[in-house]
Amino acid sequence: MPNPFDVVRTDHEITLTVRGSLDINTAANLAEEIDKIIATKMKRIVVDLSQLDLIDSSGVAALVKLYKGVRSTGGGVTMSGARDQPLAIFKLLRMDKVFNL
Amino acid sequence: MAPPIRLTVPGTLRYRGIAVRVVAEAARLVSGSIPQDPNDPLAYDVRDPFDTAVVSAFSEIFNNVVIHAYQRRGGGVIELAITPGARELVIELKDHGTPFDLDGVAALPSELDEASLPEGGMGIHIAKTMLDEMTYEPGPPNLWRLLKRLPVASGGTNTGAQARGRS
Repeated sequence: MPNPFDVVRTDHEITLTVRGSLDINTAANLAEEIDKIIATKMKRIVVDLSQLDLIDSSGVAALVKLYKGVRSTGGGVTMSGARDQPLAIFKLLRMDKVFNL
Repeated sequence: MAPPIRLTVPGTLRYRGIAVRVVAEAARLVSGSIPQDPNDPLAYDVRDPFDTAVVSAFSEIFNNVVIHAYQRRGGGVIELAITPGARELVIELKDHGTPFDLDGVAALPSELDEASLPEGGMGIHIAKTMLDEMTYEPGPPNLWRLLKRLPVASGGTNTGAQARGRS
């Protein structure tokens, strides 16, 4: 199963693009990448969710881990582009306001 | 009413995608939703609010059975009975694993902020909130019963396939 994400690093920021289904079967691979992103201590992380079609609680947990981990090192996470089912899940969990979606 | 659609899959995450696709198609029988893009590589359509609720809730309960009833080790099956009605969809999941302590699930924080963002325990909350009814009978066999009704339009008209003259 292909990874549902891409990571692009520049000198100033890291952009994580998540696509397809981020669920219990795919979130584990993303969690490994999230550990690497947090370890960079980059101050600016951008998460593009515009290509994400489906998410479950495991996928949400992975993104929460990223958010908390980056914030704990003094960085910031900007999430954008959530739509349809993923946006409904973030709203249901009341995370849309925390993530400014 | 037509007899239920029955599907039995091994109780592992490997078979999750098959089960979710069948449930998504059953949801579309009720909602009458049309795929937005026939070339969409995603095999299930989850843009319609009814489909979104059904697929989201079912996915979480399927995960729960694999993780808690079968403790990720498999060794059992999940028996699905999916009944699409004119205005509602009923899904039953039966497993023969360890009973789940539904009453022991903690509620999410009432006020959510950066510090209280949860990293777990969200699945049952998602399922319960997305559905009109969710019951659990511990066993074994353990039985989850999920029910989602179509919303009624402001004029009192069913918004689903029946309202569009489809059967």
